[in-house]
Amino acid sequence: MSESDTLGDSKRRNFLIKVTSVVGGAGAAAACIPFVASMNPSADVLAKATTEVDLSGVPVGGVHTVAWQGKPVFIFHRTPEEIKDMEASDGGFDPEPDDKRVIKPEWLVVIGICTHLGCVPNKEGPGWTCHCHGSQYDDSGRVVRGPAPRNLAVPPYYFVSDNKILIGKSKA
Amino acid sequence: MTNKIIHWIDQRFPLSSFVKHDLTEYPTPRNLSYWWNFGFLAGFVLVLQVATGVFLAMHYKADVSLSFDSIQHIMRDVNYGWLLRFMHATGASAFFLVIYIHMARTLYYGSYRAPRELMWWTGQGLLLMLMATAFMGYLLPWGQMSFWGATVITNLFKATPFYGEEVVSWLRGGFAVGDPTLTRFFSLHYLLPFLILGGVVVHLIALHTVKSSNPSGIDLAAKDNIPFHPYFTSKDFYGLGIFLIVYCLFVFFFPNSLMEPANNIPANPLQTPLDIVPEWYFLPFYAILRSVPDLVGGVVAMGLSVMVFSFMPYLDRSRIPGGAHYRPWYRMMFYLFMADMLVLGYVGHNPPGGNMLLIGRIATFFYFALFVLLPFLSKKEERWLIQKGLPPELKELMASDAKEKSEMHHRRNGDNK
Amino acid sequence: MKNLIITLVLCFTAAQAWAEEATLEHIKVDTDLPAIARGVDDLMGNCHSCHNLKYVTYLDLEKLGIDRQKIDGWRGDQPINSPLTSLMSDEAAMQSFNLVPPDLSLMTKAREGGADYVYSYLLGYYSTPDGVVKNHIFPGTKMPDPLGMSTTTDHAQREQIRATAHDIVSFLYWAADPHEQERYRLGYYVIGYLLILTLLLYFVKKQIWSRLK
Repeated sequence: MSESDTLGDSKRRNFLIKVTSVVGGAGAAAACIPFVASMNPSADVLAKATTEVDLSGVPVGGVHTVAWQGKPVFIFHRTPEEIKDMEASDGGFDPEPDDKRVIKPEWLVVIGICTHLGCVPNKEGPGWTCHCHGSQYDDSGRVVRGPAPRNLAVPPYYFVSDNKILIGKSKA
Repeated sequence: MTNKIIHWIDQRFPLSSFVKHDLTEYPTPRNLSYWWNFGFLAGFVLVLQVATGVFLAMHYKADVSLSFDSIQHIMRDVNYGWLLRFMHATGASAFFLVIYIHMARTLYYGSYRAPRELMWWTGQGLLLMLMATAFMGYLLPWGQMSFWGATVITNLFKATPFYGEEVVSWLRGGFAVGDPTLTRFFSLHYLLPFLILGGVVVHLIALHTVKSSNPSGIDLAAKDNIPFHPYFTSKDFYGLGIFLIVYCLFVFFFPNSLMEPANNIPANPLQTPLDIVPEWYFLPFYAILRSVPDLVGGVVAMGLSVMVFSFMPYLDRSRIPGGAHYRPWYRMMFYLFMADMLVLGYVGHNPPGGNMLLIGRIATFFYFALFVLLPFLSKKEERWLIQKGLPPELKELMASDAKEKSEMHHRRNGDNK
Repeated sequence: MKNLIITLVLCFTAAQAWAEEATLEHIKVDTDLPAIARGVDDLMGNCHSCHNLKYVTYLDLEKLGIDRQKIDGWRGDQPINSPLTSLMSDEAAMQSFNLVPPDLSLMTKAREGGADYVYSYLLGYYSTPDGVVKNHIFPGTKMPDPLGMSTTTDHAQREQIRATAHDIVSFLYWAADPHEQERYRLGYYVIGYLLILTLLLYFVKKQIWSRLK
């Protein structure tokens, strides 16, 4: 056997092993996909990504708390005076006009999780107070006293009918 | 850079020398056939079962009111949950298939003989742990077959002397199989595979001490060997490819063929399904259990039928190497034993009574008779073979082996002085 | 010789077992959407008043592609992700049948014979000469003949009932294993890939071992 033959043979061999390693490696990587994917939210969890809420049971001035994706959502039926008060100001140190935070002024829908460290604030007097670290929010869910850095978040939602909202999607 | 890291590790941990000694340069007889692939495959299936099992356990609930539902949750809602579950369920069958072939190879080639008794016995221990793991895993879906299988098998412990009833209710944590049973079976089903992993390490350490057996039956690892890598890594991976094709055919196209319809009905403690059948891998032993018309006798016979393999190093008294290869009588017995296993499996699958009972009893008798006769037949066969004159290539092998051994003996004695 | 006898005996008993199962009528299950859609329609009309399908939700039906308006009609006020539970309570069922009708989600997987069993059972109703309705497949059944097979003599109508039963079983077959088609599709790719990989591994093995010669 001549020298060049041996060389050619080993080249071919190396190429074959490389191709096989790549194909095998790709397969092994692909085989990981179902394992990783199985830890993502399952179909029944995703089915709860939206929550339908009937508003007819919430009296004027009343707050209704519903669970959406495992988080509390405050649905606050505001009185005309409260609406007027809120429209008059831009809140505290995270200024935002009230009409940017509501679809219909009488209904405030906010995620009831303090933007500081995640406690659930309580409705006390006008607005909400978080008892963990003393943050305060007004009747538009805007932070008026620290340590919370931001206003209570507004979840995506839309009115299915006059009395029904769907939380989790911003459009039908 | 890599060299530096490896050097750093090597000063603190024998990484390179381990890889060299036990993997890349590990001496392996070059004449190993494809029957020697199944140990590697068993290791692969074990890892596969642990991996799928860990991910299934993230979604499974060990509670009698939830477990059946949680299986359906896995099958329907969890992303690729159906795939993980079918892989795990099919994997159990694959595990037994691979292990049984691995054992059959050991029996055929006489690999259990000195100096590999410890390998054979650790293997036997691994088989028992595998059986226990499979049995407990089968309860977890909480279907009719799960429930009644567990009821029947835990009842076997009634055969315990004096404390039968107490042992049974201790195992179950109640008067019947129930929530405590399910929870503890889940706990142990998760634990045992890790004990199996430990057992596999012992099995492998023993293997690397005595080296692989081979079809000739003479220790070749010391003379006619080749490094494990790349020869046997490439061969093992090729075998793995073939195995995966068969395995995936079952996982993707016939996963339900290995499942009993009755297990798709939630467990009902008030109603037994018409006939209770264990999984295929327990059928021969189940048939032996049913063949003895007495509870204690049946349990003893079944236990013995599994444990009797341990005695093989002593039951086989022939010194002719190569297992069944050079031994026509032993070969005949091996094939008869395989056929008997199949008959027992068939009997175990069918409802007892009539013909089945009779065939089962004959096959059970035959099963034990083969083991009992082996010491006499193997000795007689050896004498007959030597009288007849061994084939020249075998004589050569035996002579070279004897020479090697005496040389080694002298060398060792010399060292001592 | 003994082996031969055993084999013969085995063949004989196996043939007997085969003969018993042969009374089931074979159904070639439809896996395409129109048949399944007809099936769920028939099921909601004929079976769902008593039987639950607690592992199938209205959302599953929507995802499968069943007409949303029909789904809304069936579910009424229930949220879209509620299971297909029947209107009949377990207590009411106990009163009328002395048992709770079995859940149908897994029915085609939960009986020996699978879809063939359910199909043959639905069509297995007949009237005895003295007017009692019985079933060939499940003599002890307490379910009244749902499709009217026992009272229909007209050939065209009987064919119609057979078609209905076929669609219902097709739907139940889907319901018992909703990912089956996805599994087959993925399976072809996986097997194809493994064939290529194994072929490559074979050549690698062959080349490496050829160094020895």
